[in-house]
Parts: sequence; structure tokens; C-alpha cells
Amino acid sequence: MHRAARMKRELQMLQDSPPYGISCWSVENSIDHLEAQIIGGEGTPYEGGVFKLDIHLPERYPFEPPKVHFVTPIHHPNIDTVGRICLDTLKMPPKGAWKPALNISTVLTSVQLLMAEPNPEDPLMTDIANEFKYNKPLFIRNAKEWTAKYAKDLLAKDKENQSQSINQKDQISPNDNGTKRKILAADSVADYKKTKN
Amino acid sequence: MSLMQSDDNFYLIPQNNERTCFEGFINVHGQEHQFQISLPPGGTFSQASVQCDLSLQQMLQGYEAVIEKRLQQSQDLATFLLELKTIAESQAQKMHLIMLPPPSYYKQLLTEIEELDWKNVSYVDTSLQQLHLRAMDQGGREHILKIHISSEHPVERPICTVDLPIPFNISWSSQTGMLQFLYKQFQNMLETLQDFWNQLDEIDSKTWILEPENPIRGASKRRIALGNNSSVQIQVDPKNPRLPPECKLLGADHVINPLNSRIGEWNPEDSILNNLERVLNVQFPSPANSKKEDFNMECGICYAYRLEMEIPDKACDDQRCGQPFHQTCLYEWLRALPSSRQSFNTIFGECPYCNKPITVKMPS
Repeated sequence: MHRAARMKRELQMLQDSPPYGISCWSVENSIDHLEAQIIGGEGTPYEGGVFKLDIHLPERYPFEPPKVHFVTPIHHPNIDTVGRICLDTLKMPPKGAWKPALNISTVLTSVQLLMAEPNPEDPLMTDIANEFKYNKPLFIRNAKEWTAKYAKDLLAKDKENQSQSINQKDQISPNDNGTKRKILAADSVADYKKTKN
Repeated sequence: MSLMQSDDNFYLIPQNNERTCFEGFINVHGQEHQFQISLPPGGTFSQASVQCDLSLQQMLQGYEAVIEKRLQQSQDLATFLLELKTIAESQAQKMHLIMLPPPSYYKQLLTEIEELDWKNVSYVDTSLQQLHLRAMDQGGREHILKIHISSEHPVERPICTVDLPIPFNISWSSQTGMLQFLYKQFQNMLETLQDFWNQLDEIDSKTWILEPENPIRGASKRRIALGNNSSVQIQVDPKNPRLPPECKLLGADHVINPLNSRIGEWNPEDSILNNLERVLNVQFPSPANSKKEDFNMECGICYAYRLEMEIPDKACDDQRCGQPFHQTCLYEWLRALPSSRQSFNTIFGECPYCNKPITVKMPS
């Protein structure tokens, strides 16, 4: 009952005054499944891209944080290959910082901020974090490449193609971190399927 | 084969010596319907036929085939007639056959309405049993008296529905001209409530009413916004509107504690609004100088004002925050946190907005 009351109001707010560079809407008028788009920030390697996100509201929302993940592949130290985001506001205390004073709008704004300011000290993708810390130009080039490849034309490619190409990319990269990343990706796919079911 | 059944269900009278033709009455919901049955000689039912009166025909419409089949398969007339009665009764219920009042009812009613003047009638239904009468009071407020007139009018008293803060007890005797008498009683009652409505109208127009959302004329309670997420709820006595009303202050301690009400300074000569402002020593925010959105009264957790009848009545005591919450919402959040501490039925935690200490009692 808390979720219903709150989502009614939140959806209205998202519609009337969406945060800068963000749009969010409910999927088939449901109150527990939303989709959002974040426009890549100016001056970031994600500029010019539109990133799609999927949001699920748990039964106990707002006493539990929303489940947010990227649908559009993104090259980022804190976002893994299946789109899971490492962000404290998306986790329950004491580890996380979720509280009911936050909402979909503020969460999406912090995701937007995370895109602009990656946090390599708490990475989900160690190879990308290392790239970010020790070889910034390479990181920027890769992130721009991914943006151009996946985030520029949402309509042309469907999700299936995107995830296939990520897996291919994983298999091609022969460096040490590659194997670790592949395992992580496989785990997270399994995890993601579990949560979806 | 018993042919002369005469219980409550039906009467059957043979019309000839051969007993091939019967006339009778069947009882459907207390109303008797005439029918005729002719049987072929020999007492078989295979070519029997039934004729019935118009109202029974209407009830049985669409069931002719069924009835014919039942008649042909019946062992005796009594069983068949009981079946016929059952079909007719269930049909009658479906069709909602309204038993209309006798013609004298309408004649009487029309005379009474004319006495009353048609311009006071705001609505009548097609059966002329629901009547809405309009009355204007001295303050120019419109009131509606909804009357459901009984078919036994004027012997039986009508059922009245009104929007008044006090019960509308009518006196009634089975005479003519009673409708006018009823209307007069309604007008008298409105007159006694004039001051009550004047007082509340003043409050409604000069303050922000948080509850009820759209006060009806019968509502004697008001929750008035004080600003700073606090409010005062009053209940006015309709019979003595000028006496000090029942007051309840709602909001954070630091806001409402200074408002120690000096009820002794209540002046029955003055209006409720002026009295409240003087006694509480406040100036109510009014529609003239503020917007309703300024009173951010929604719960900071569920974003709703009303949650299953509950309103946000627990506010953060920190002056700079003052965020209101529903007690159940705040309890639900704090109890799930490892950082909260519980002592008896009170939980000690942090405000989800400003992280300052906050306590909440377990909802009953």
C-alpha cells in the first residue's frame, strides 16, 4: 500500500518535472516496472549517447531501494556487463545508503552523476577501473567507442544483438583481466536471470 | 392425482365433469395470476396447453419452450404448477417488476407538491417516489432535502436524507398536506444552524482546510493548517457554535508546544476564527497570502497525505527539517534498520531526511 501511494505521486512528478537529462516512464501502466533514459553528460565520454535503464520496484519499496540496471551496454568501472550498477544509494543500510527520503528521480540523478564521475576505488569491473586509473586516454577512447556503438541508435539494435556482441568482445580480449571479467559476466547473467524470474 | 389443490401456492377448479379443463390462480410473490389449463381426454399431458393472464405471460416470456416440455413430462398437475411458480418467481425477481403505488397516491402527492410550489422541487424520479426539495437559507446557501416517499403515503412516514450536522428528526402524522409540513420543519432546522454555517464558512474561506477535503454542510470538524507542518483540528458544536470547540494541535513539538492555548480568553461574542487566532496567538495562513502547496503535509516516506485513514502526524523535531511522516511509515522504516534501537514500544532512530534523532511509537 505504501508503494502504490508513493508511485502514483512519483510517476506524476517524473512526468511533470523530470530531472535534467533524464526521462522515466512506467511500462504498461504498472507501478512496479519503469524504464528510464539518461542522456550522456556533456564533456563526458558518454556525450551524444542515450542510455536506457530498467527499474523494478520491490514490494516493500520505499522501505527497500529500487532495482536499477543499465539495458544499454556502457563502458564504466562501476557498471558491469549485464548492466548492474555499483552505487551505495541502491543498497540497503548498513552497507548501502538507501533511505526512503530518496526516490526514483534522485536515484537516476546519482546514476547520472556516477556516469560523469566514476568511482574506481569501488569497482565492479576491475579492468575498466585500472584503465580509468592508469590509462585515462584509453578509457576515454573505449567509453566513446561503446557509446557510439550501443547508445547512439536505440531503435536499430535490439537487446539480443547487444548482449551477443558483448560476449564476443569478451571472448576476443585475450588479456589477464579478460578471464576474470568473463567469469563475472557469466555469474551476473545467471544472477540477473534469477532476479528476473 | 390430487386436482383440487388449495394451499397458498395455487387454486385449481375443474371446469367440466371430464376434468380436462381447469381454471385457477397461481401465487407469485404474493400476487395472484389467473391461468387456464386444458388437457386432452384420457388424462395424458402430451397435448396439454396452458393459458395465463398478461402479467404472468410477461414474466414467463422466453421460457415457453421450457414450460411446454415440463408440462408434457409432468406426473401430475400439482408438480407442474409448483414448477411454473418457481420459474415465474425467479423471473419476476430478475425483471424487478416494480409494484407501483395505487393511483390515489399520485393524486395526493401531486396536490401536495402543488401546495409546496414546484419551484422548490429540484428532482423527481420517474416513479415519483424520490423527491428532492431545494431550500435556500438566509445566508444564501442551498440545501437539499431528499425524500423517499412510501407507497403508503401519507400513512407511513417518508425516509428523509439530509446533509446536516445534527440528526433530522421529523414529526409526522398521517394527514394531508404533510409534505409541506415536512418542508417547513426542514426550513426551521436550517434557520437554527445559520450561525454554525456562518462560522464555518468564514473559516473555510479565510484558512486552508486540510481536512475534510471538500467539507459537506453536515461536517462539523475542520483541520486548519497553521504552517510549519502543524495544524489544529477543531470540532464545532452545531447547537452552540460560539462555545470553545474541541481543539487538537498536531505537529512537531517545537512548533506546537509554544502554542499553549489560553482557552480562558475565549470570547463567545466573537467569531470562532478570531477566537482561535487570539487564544492560540497565531495568524492562520490564508488563501489570500499563500498557496496550499506551501503546506507540505505529505508523508516523507509514502508521499501521500492519507494512508488508509491515517494522516501524517509525526514530524521531525529538528526545526530546520520538520518533515512529517505517517506513524506507520516511519515505524516500518526504522524497525528494519540495524542502527535503530527499540525500548518497549518506542523505536529510537534517525530521521530519513536529516539524520537527526527521531522516535516513533509502535502503531497500535
